Amino acid sequence: MADKEATVYIIDVAKSMGKRHHGRTISDLEWAMEYVWDRITKTVATGRKTATVGVVGLRTDDTSNDIKNDDNYSHISVFQGIGQYGLPHRGLFAAWLRMCRVLMPDLRRLREVIKPSNTNAGDAISSIVVAIQMIIAYCKKLKYRRKIILVTNGEGLISSDGLDEIIKKVKSDNIELIILGVDFDDPEYGFKEEDKDPAKAENEALLNGLADECDGSFATIAQAISMLELPLEKSIRGISSFKGELRLGDPREYSSALCIQVERYPRTYVTRPPTASSFALRSGTSATQADSTQSSATVVPDEETEAEARLTGIRNARIYQIPDESSPGTKIEVQRDDLAKGYEYGRTAVHISQSDENITNLETDQALEIIGFIHNDLYDRYMHMSTCNVIIAQKTNDKAILALSSFIHGLFEKECYAVARLVTKNNKPPLIVLLAPSIEPDYECLLEVQLPFAEDVRSYRFPPLDKVVTVSGKTVTEHRNLPDDDLLYAMSRYVDSMEIVSNNENGVPLDTIPLDEMYSPVIHRIGLAIRRRAIHPSESLPSPSSKLMQVSQPSEEAQARARKHLERLEKVADVKKVPPKTKGRKRNHQADKPLSGLDVDGLLHHEKRTKISSNNTIPEFKQALVGTDNIEGVSDSVNQMGAIIEDQIRNSLGDANYDRVVEELGVMKDELVAYEEPGLYNDFLRRLKKMILQNELAGDRRELWWLIRRSNVGLIDKSVSELSNVTEQEAREVGSP
Amino acid sequence: MAESFRREDEVEEEDEIDDTEYKSSKDAVLFAIEVSRSMLMPRSTSGSKNTSTETPSRAALKCAYHLMQQRIISNPHDMIGVLLFGTEASKFYDEDENSRGGLSYPHCYLFTDLNVPAAEDVKQLRELAEDDDKAEEILIPSKDPVSMANVLFCANQIFTSRASNFLSRRLFVVTDNDNPHGDDRSMRSAATVRAKDLYDLGVTIELFPISRLDRQFDRSKFYDDIIYKTSTVDPEEAPQTNTQTPSAGVDGISLLNSLLSSINSKSVPRRALFSNMPLEIGPGFKISVTGYIMFKRQEPARSCFVWVGGEKPQIAKGTTTQIMDDTARAVEKWEIRKAYKFGGEQVSFTPEEQKALRNFGEPVIRIIGFKPISALPFWASIKPPTFIYPSEETYVGSTRVFSALHRKLLTDKKMALVWFIARKNAAPVVAAMLPGAEKLDEDNVQKLPPGMWLLPLPFADDIRPNPETNLVVASESLIDRMRTIVEQLQLPKAQYAPHKYPNPSLQWHYRILQALALDEDLPEKPEDKMIPKYKQIDKRVGGCVIAWGEELEEQDRNLFSRNSKTSTIAKRPAKAQRLDDDSNEGTPASKKIKMERDGHEVDEVAIGKCYESGTLSKLTVPILKNFLTSQHLPTTGKKADLVERVEEFYDRKG
Repeated sequence: MADKEATVYIIDVAKSMGKRHHGRTISDLEWAMEYVWDRITKTVATGRKTATVGVVGLRTDDTSNDIKNDDNYSHISVFQGIGQYGLPHRGLFAAWLRMCRVLMPDLRRLREVIKPSNTNAGDAISSIVVAIQMIIAYCKKLKYRRKIILVTNGEGLISSDGLDEIIKKVKSDNIELIILGVDFDDPEYGFKEEDKDPAKAENEALLNGLADECDGSFATIAQAISMLELPLEKSIRGISSFKGELRLGDPREYSSALCIQVERYPRTYVTRPPTASSFALRSGTSATQADSTQSSATVVPDEETEAEARLTGIRNARIYQIPDESSPGTKIEVQRDDLAKGYEYGRTAVHISQSDENITNLETDQALEIIGFIHNDLYDRYMHMSTCNVIIAQKTNDKAILALSSFIHGLFEKECYAVARLVTKNNKPPLIVLLAPSIEPDYECLLEVQLPFAEDVRSYRFPPLDKVVTVSGKTVTEHRNLPDDDLLYAMSRYVDSMEIVSNNENGVPLDTIPLDEMYSPVIHRIGLAIRRRAIHPSESLPSPSSKLMQVSQPSEEAQARARKHLERLEKVADVKKVPPKTKGRKRNHQADKPLSGLDVDGLLHHEKRTKISSNNTIPEFKQALVGTDNIEGVSDSVNQMGAIIEDQIRNSLGDANYDRVVEELGVMKDELVAYEEPGLYNDFLRRLKKMILQNELAGDRRELWWLIRRSNVGLIDKSVSELSNVTEQEAREVGSP
Repeated sequence: MAESFRREDEVEEEDEIDDTEYKSSKDAVLFAIEVSRSMLMPRSTSGSKNTSTETPSRAALKCAYHLMQQRIISNPHDMIGVLLFGTEASKFYDEDENSRGGLSYPHCYLFTDLNVPAAEDVKQLRELAEDDDKAEEILIPSKDPVSMANVLFCANQIFTSRASNFLSRRLFVVTDNDNPHGDDRSMRSAATVRAKDLYDLGVTIELFPISRLDRQFDRSKFYDDIIYKTSTVDPEEAPQTNTQTPSAGVDGISLLNSLLSSINSKSVPRRALFSNMPLEIGPGFKISVTGYIMFKRQEPARSCFVWVGGEKPQIAKGTTTQIMDDTARAVEKWEIRKAYKFGGEQVSFTPEEQKALRNFGEPVIRIIGFKPISALPFWASIKPPTFIYPSEETYVGSTRVFSALHRKLLTDKKMALVWFIARKNAAPVVAAMLPGAEKLDEDNVQKLPPGMWLLPLPFADDIRPNPETNLVVASESLIDRMRTIVEQLQLPKAQYAPHKYPNPSLQWHYRILQALALDEDLPEKPEDKMIPKYKQIDKRVGGCVIAWGEELEEQDRNLFSRNSKTSTIAKRPAKAQRLDDDSNEGTPASKKIKMERDGHEVDEVAIGKCYESGTLSKLTVPILKNFLTSQHLPTTGKKADLVERVEEFYDRKG
């Protein structure tokens, strides 16, 4: 929804731009191009058809522009037109659309042509005229944001002939002129080139004057590059998601109902990082074959694009299956045509015929209806469930604006929020929302967020944090889980020392980390990586910029300020890290006891459970392990479990017993890790795998092996138990069938 | 069709959850409801006006029915079953009184097998709970006492065969008999052994005791030997939540209500979103916390495909295979490359690079600083919060440190700004960490737990500018009238209570499905508790609204009579940015420079006023930049630099 844009970049490619200066390791042109590439690729990344770009070379060897018959315009070449000159014909419309967007092949071509030339001849002012011509031809009188960006080192001859005319044209056509120079002096930014060539100084002054006259901007390129880290601010015009009545009461029934025409726009809206699509290597090509077979067929011969050319899109193919009643555990495929739309009610399938399609939808009327008011002090801020929207009165309706203003002020003065029912369109599910007044000096609106419904709240209970209630019901206020006065004091001092909102001299609070200066690290990091990769395919990934990561740590100043308070806090808090898993926890281990503390294991050992029965395997296996004190006992239990598991697989109708087997394996694995006997488990699992793969357990049980792999009950490797002689690599290999 | 599937894939990519847990994260609840003479004794309500009676058994069945319905909506893949014990009749899978070889579990009646409920199960349970004839058939107490060991082992078998590999398995015991075996030592120890088996199997026993008419339920007599302190599901669970469950009272209504409420609070097992996450209070100083989702939008389950080619409709499960566009050959997972569309082509990264791009370090909640809660704008919200509570598992002493922080923030009404990575490779967010006080209801039952709430904040990328519009400020007299309306229509206690507002479309959806599934008549009119109480509104504020309306007409006439004809059609002059509330309503500020850039106009007058009052820093960066641009001044640097530059401009101007 942003405005259409036409931007022409004028790039000075003079011979002198190929030189390096002031100890830089790259040439002036390469340096300047950092800026240009970033800007162009940011535009390409938007994928917008209406963001058009043209590129003009200044001081090129050849001349190629529309005014080339005039000597004043020599050594200026249009590298990339913003569009065909003249009105596009209907038939050419598609081609014209493609022309105005910069695409990857264009970028590659530009990369080829933008190189230092063998000449220093060419007039910067003339190149601006060429750019103006391009914009006029392309944009006509249509609404565009017009922009010319000139990047030059300011050397060479610049003629000021006809400058007034040019300024007039730039201003009348509302073109924004930005002039960026290599090593231009900029007192604001704090740069001054020593021993500057007087001719260059003169040119700088001329260009600076030009930019000023045109209401444009003039800066040194270093400053522009330093700003690249900041994401491009883009203004998105929101689309209203609701236009209708704010109501109090029912106007159909009561004459006393209040109705105000309102509109709803997003205030926050989550921007997603670009998503990658899936591709596969084109059929019949493997990585090694491709080089020889593809080269002739590839449209773009660059080597790095070949990899992409070998990729092909992926489609999803879906098949539908139902369980086969006649043979449990198997499925039959059914045709899409025999399927109706439906829902699950528990495990019952409820199908809904096409004519009843909307039968489960609640009938609702589009409106924003007030349910009642609550006091803002009694609202818990963490009940916000959604993004925020603004509600304003109908834009062209002054009476509605006046009416809503009284509502906003009424809420504000009573320190209240409104709870309302919002139906954005007829028959859409109603939302329960909270409306808060927002009054700024120049803007009034309601802010709206969604609240939880009864079903959305999970009532998990937790013990209080300011007291401890013992099992016997006594309340205790001194306890190892409760802070003492020292800790409370140290915490208080620390929290105060890490304050990030400070009041300035006039008592106005100033947030040092304001919301509108925190940028999404994921979005901008991926965006930057894509743009870099597009231009420099062989470079490694850029690391996230410091600007993006500034909110990942407290600022240096805050850390310094808080250091002594933190040290004090750490000391009185006396927090101890729990050492990594205490080894062999199960040996000589005290069994868990019921609330009464009764020694159930005593009772059990009385019975001496060493024989594991097939209908109570897991408890009896665990208890047998607790009851044994030698390796033979453990080994015997494992053997018994193994036999039971094999039996269960053998007797499983289809996959009926598979879950049970996986659970038993999981318990065995955990227990044998704890008993420090990983070998016993690994031996058994290897045996089991062999039996499964050789179909020794009554048929094809491969699906079970797949389940075992997926359920993470494979071999115990070294990372899980130090006593294991299986590496992670081996464990993976044994896992694969 | 293809569209929606593609979207699904993308979502998958975003939240790749580590699926290494070998147990599926589903829950199975088996109700064990005692049927005995006292459990069938009606409890009348204490109030004389209402004669409704309720027997404890039936109340328990109603709760089970309620929970079953609720879980079909909220947890459609969880299992639920109902086992009656102490009944004259016995039933267990394929055996009953008539089977040969005797009964394995006498006086145990498996009424609803443990499974994802089918419509038929819902119907039968409802009949048993509400239909007297049906109840009299089955709810007959046995003459012989039932062996608790047998009941527990019966439950063991049901869980083992029906809910293998479930992360959470819970046995809800509803009884009024606190001492089923008296002094019979062998019966008692058999029961404790079977209870230990259940514990070792990973089944948690939840007791819902009902007091008898003559005495309170005493857990220590028997059940403290049966129930274990820590559940395997949730080692953090505090002991008192188990022992302090109030036993359901004596009279009928409160019996049902308190049973419903205590069962509701256990309806979903507490599942952590993340466990033992480091909370970094300051550089190098960490404690551990566990996170939970407390608020989650409940949506109707997505529609599915039902096969209607046979006798019984069946749900068809779809499986997707990925095939190549060119040859339609199935693609293996390892062949898949991810690439971004850019300038009409693909820009690709290796899987390792893909991963690296999303990696911003280990999961952590790191405090960046503190600020007053009042500095958190109302609109700074994007999704529901995460609740965190301390855990002693990685750092001993976490609870007391957390408690100290909690207390300090509550007292000073402060919040912490945190850097939050919820799991490995999750996108980092900046969140506001707000302290939440414990909230209790009238019966001192916890409504909201004490702890901290992490509210993800919008990034600059997520903040949208306000839509442009006119500003017309209402006059005092109009506002006065509105104030009375606001005053008169406060919700009870001037608070929002979520439990009073069930989601009407969600309830209706499942109400219709239930009717269709059970082949019943469709309900006529939905119950919609969100519909405002129109009658009450008219009664309470009708007069005020009319007075307000008259005042509005009056003011409207005064303000806009001159141009009211054109105002609705013609495009209005751009809004006036006025900073002083007292200036004339509706008349745009006269002197301003119009700049069409970024949609912000530059209001020199307003900025001049700010300069005079020293409040330039209150202005937003775009406004400052636009102003500077309009004065041909550089717009670079931080906000402070911009402010300084504007100040300099005015200083020079004098």
